Amino acid sequence: MMGPDLTWYLAVSAFLFGIGALGVMLRRSPLIVLLSLEIMLNGANLALITFSRHHGELDGQVFALAVMAVAASEVVVGLGLIVAVHRRRLELDVDKLSTLRG
Amino acid sequence: MIAAAWLCLLSPLGATLAITLGGTRWSRRGAGYVATLSVAVSFVASAIAFFSMLGNASEDRSHLSTAWTWLSAGNFDVGLTVLVDPLSILMMLIVSGVGALIVGYSIGYMDGDDEERRYFAYMALFVFSMLLLVQAGNLLLLLVGWGLVGLCSYLLIGHHHDRPQAVAAAKKAFIMNALGDATMALAFFLLIQRTGSLSFASAFDWSGGAEGSWAVNLVALGLLGGAVAKSAQLPLQTWLPDAMEGPTPVSALIHAATMVTAGVYLLVRTAPIFEHAGRVQDLAAGLGAATLLLAGLIALVQVDIKRVIAYSTMSQIGYMFLGAGLGAYANSMFHLMTHAFFKALLFLAAGIVIHALAGEQDMRRMGGLRRYLPRTYWAFLVGGLALTGIPPLSGFFSKDSVLASALAAGTYGQILFVAGLAGTFLTGLYTFRMLFIVFGGEPSPYAQEHFHRPDRSEPWLWMGLTVGALTVLAVIGGWLQIAGVWHPLADFLKPAVEPLVEPSGTQDFLASLGAVALGLAGIAVAWAIYSARTLTVPTARSARTLLEHKFYFDELYDAVFYRPSALLARGLRDFVEGPLVLGSLTGIAFGARRLAGEVTALQTGLVRTYALAIAGSVTLLALVFVWVK
Repeated sequence: MMGPDLTWYLAVSAFLFGIGALGVMLRRSPLIVLLSLEIMLNGANLALITFSRHHGELDGQVFALAVMAVAASEVVVGLGLIVAVHRRRLELDVDKLSTLRG
Repeated sequence: MIAAAWLCLLSPLGATLAITLGGTRWSRRGAGYVATLSVAVSFVASAIAFFSMLGNASEDRSHLSTAWTWLSAGNFDVGLTVLVDPLSILMMLIVSGVGALIVGYSIGYMDGDDEERRYFAYMALFVFSMLLLVQAGNLLLLLVGWGLVGLCSYLLIGHHHDRPQAVAAAKKAFIMNALGDATMALAFFLLIQRTGSLSFASAFDWSGGAEGSWAVNLVALGLLGGAVAKSAQLPLQTWLPDAMEGPTPVSALIHAATMVTAGVYLLVRTAPIFEHAGRVQDLAAGLGAATLLLAGLIALVQVDIKRVIAYSTMSQIGYMFLGAGLGAYANSMFHLMTHAFFKALLFLAAGIVIHALAGEQDMRRMGGLRRYLPRTYWAFLVGGLALTGIPPLSGFFSKDSVLASALAAGTYGQILFVAGLAGTFLTGLYTFRMLFIVFGGEPSPYAQEHFHRPDRSEPWLWMGLTVGALTVLAVIGGWLQIAGVWHPLADFLKPAVEPLVEPSGTQDFLASLGAVALGLAGIAVAWAIYSARTLTVPTARSARTLLEHKFYFDELYDAVFYRPSALLARGLRDFVEGPLVLGSLTGIAFGARRLAGEVTALQTGLVRTYALAIAGSVTLLALVFVWVK
């Protein structure tokens, strides 16, 4: 296998996932939260593809493609929601959007 | 013969279904025609079965016909079986013949009622139930008919369901009958446990081998309980007078053709069991004698025309119980038959009176109707004389043969014979008290005001013709059997039930002499008090109150059964249902709601806390997996 060692790929993947997770948990703007989610998904994708290459099989790559499709749909819905929230002249802050509180 | 029997059974059921399913597509009178026709078809079919049975030798007159296996559990099988033998043929003829006349009469009587279709559907169902009861080829099917008869009586007594008394009377009849059904069911359980079957033959065989054992006695007692409830004998008699809330033809049907005669039929049908439980059979005879006296006494003070006739039915059924209990089965069935004729006649004639007086049943408001309703008067007179047992009318032959059998049945029978004789005096007295009050004297002001004359329109024609037919039957019905001279009925029934007592000619003569003399004496006293007014009613206040309260049976049952159970129910409601059942339910609901309140607090609405919770949980899971590995 060419290129760096498997560990490096996984390290990058974990790093991406960690950045994303922190972003989701710490940032308040829904737009950034959505971006961070994408980063998490891509971190996971990277791990899938790494192992797929490592084992020389294609199924990990197929999974990654499926995840991308799901991620794209999710972004569509998420952005749509953000636009809707904005249209109603609400503040774009996930902490203030808490009407679903029990 | 078998096909005719099945046709006889199913024809009224077909009418019920047709009327019920047809609904408003039938005209009101059309429903009446269909019901009458179906019962008439039953009568013709049973007549055909009867004549084809006469063609068979007397040993070959009992036939079982099974349509299919109805119930099957382990080695216990019950078929949908009809039994055609002389006894059931006789009952079929009576039920469908008198039933057809009564249903036909209803076309006139119920004309203009709001719910004629429902009424006729139930009438046909009633006849079907009774036919099922008498044709049943095993005890379970008999119980089915038994229960259906009770149901139909409930439906028909409560026909005027907007009247609270009618509803109460219907419930009372049903509950009293359910009591009898229950004792019969218990007896059948015991039979199944002992013999593993509910066929007549196996039950009779078993009772023969277990003569006098407690099991036979219990089974007989259970059957007697059912018979007593259905036939309104002591101590379950209180429902019958209240059942007068139903329309008059229903009373006639209950009293003459269906329902109350079922108890007598049961005693005769299961006679082998009773014969092997001698004391229970004696008890049946004793209950009959007690009831006939009690009912005769109560009838003396009743003011409702239908109630007087109702008590006379109780009294006459008492005679039949007396006869059947002493083993004079054929004579008892003979009295059942003539009673069906003259009792239906009395009820239907009383129905004409009630109809002509715009629904009035209180005899105190009647009087002098002889002038207004001469033909009804004659019909009523024939019915009354037949009921009292004056020769040559039907009641004379049958009642006297029952009494003669009692005279021939040993000391116990002779004691009951005296009671029966006293009963004939009472019969004459209360019957002619009613007759003189209703028809004698000058027309009462009420009658003058409210009377409307029967005309030649169709309703009145139906009523007049059926009453006429029953008058003829009440006159000639008794000639079927003349004690000591000829007895085709007893011979016909012999293959089915063998009588235990045969009165001698002297006993027959003595019984007739006593009964007729006392009956005439009763009539004479009634005449002296209510027509000639040379005698006055003795003013024994306490005795009168006792009779007017029907010997306080209702009050007694109220105090012994109703009040304690109502008290118990109230106690259970206050101390068990309230705190325990309802309390636990509200407790559960309240607890669940509070728990939900706690859980909702977890839902903060802050998306980031959710994310944190997910991340934390995933981390925790990952750690657990790693650690477990």
